[in-house]
Amino acid sequence: MSSPSLPLQTDRMMLRTFERADLADLTAYHALPSMQRYVFSRTRDEADVADALNVLRGHVSLQRPGDTLTLAMVRKGDKKVIGHVSLNWQDATSGQGEVRFCINPSFSGQGYAAEALSAMFDLAFERFHIHRVFVRCDGRNHNSIKLMQKLGMRLEAHYREHALFQGEWDEELHFAILDREWKRSSKVKDLPIRQRVA
Amino acid sequence: MALYPTYPLETERLRLRPFTRGDVDAVFAYRQREDVARFLFDSPLSREECALAVQQRIAQTSLSEEGDKIVLGVELADTGELIGEVSLIWRSVEHQQGEVGWILHPSFHGQGYGTEAASAMLDLAFRQADLHRVIARCAAENAPSFHLMERLGMRREAHFREHAISKGAWDEEFIYAILQREWVGCTGPSEATSSIFN
Repeated sequence: MSSPSLPLQTDRMMLRTFERADLADLTAYHALPSMQRYVFSRTRDEADVADALNVLRGHVSLQRPGDTLTLAMVRKGDKKVIGHVSLNWQDATSGQGEVRFCINPSFSGQGYAAEALSAMFDLAFERFHIHRVFVRCDGRNHNSIKLMQKLGMRLEAHYREHALFQGEWDEELHFAILDREWKRSSKVKDLPIRQRVA
Repeated sequence: MALYPTYPLETERLRLRPFTRGDVDAVFAYRQREDVARFLFDSPLSREECALAVQQRIAQTSLSEEGDKIVLGVELADTGELIGEVSLIWRSVEHQQGEVGWILHPSFHGQGYGTEAASAMLDLAFRQADLHRVIARCAAENAPSFHLMERLGMRREAHFREHAISKGAWDEEFIYAILQREWVGCTGPSEATSSIFN
């Protein structure tokens, strides 16, 4: 799969790959204790976040299964990075993709995450021809749960204690949506009205 | 905890014991059938493939590291006739997770043998191997199998749609699970506990 036409534009944001200069904005949310539960690599200070940023900067395209594309959510106007969203291409044959996201809590509750995820889903289904996108979240993360429901995703799994996570038994939810279910209204087009010819 | 059980495992009407070279014909009797293969990952097996499968199973009698699998022949205590097989896989050492599975010759369906054999495997998993959680999975259209899981007191934790391709078609899969404290607390087949999917 060739690299997409980036950056993506949404109403209020530009979604682009990470840059070295994003360190301060990324640190502002990535190093938060409340975020540590959900991020891949534990980051306590700017040096840790710099390592994480190097990894994120490498997520530039989906060439083969296993690859991840990560896009920074850059607010139009002040150009501030307020979060990021990733698409991991898991399986070529069955077209599975996992989407993950983080948002700076100072900017949550304003629809930015929904806007970014929506653009990422468009990219996954239209550009990368993914068949099914899924998102995992913690069973106690009510904001994420509401967001998945708002996006029209279906709750497909609710695992109880299937892993020890940072010393505690977890509760994990899986939400999923299929290509034909995403923005269905825009895909079901009425046939043009034919003028009577006889 | 590594597990080297003492065989056979005895239940009211059954004996669960390691496979032997003499089991090939009995295994072929059920594994050659289309109605058995329909819900398995394999197609119907030839006698040669059954011989290979039995050869493999002879050594699958203990759990010493992650991924190990115990596969036992299920025979009628009265007659010694082999009517199927049950398995326990050690899915995760760190998270103490396991998976049970079963295949029974259709002539012996509907008499509670599956429940009896699977119960013995859950006992093995929870009381001897000290696992925390055990799952079982089946195709969504395999009602006899998930009814058995429900009789065991397992809870439906996942209903995946089109998350993989199985034998050329999109799958629909159920995952059921039960925790150690739920099994040890209630001992044996019981009412299924609350599930978001019911």
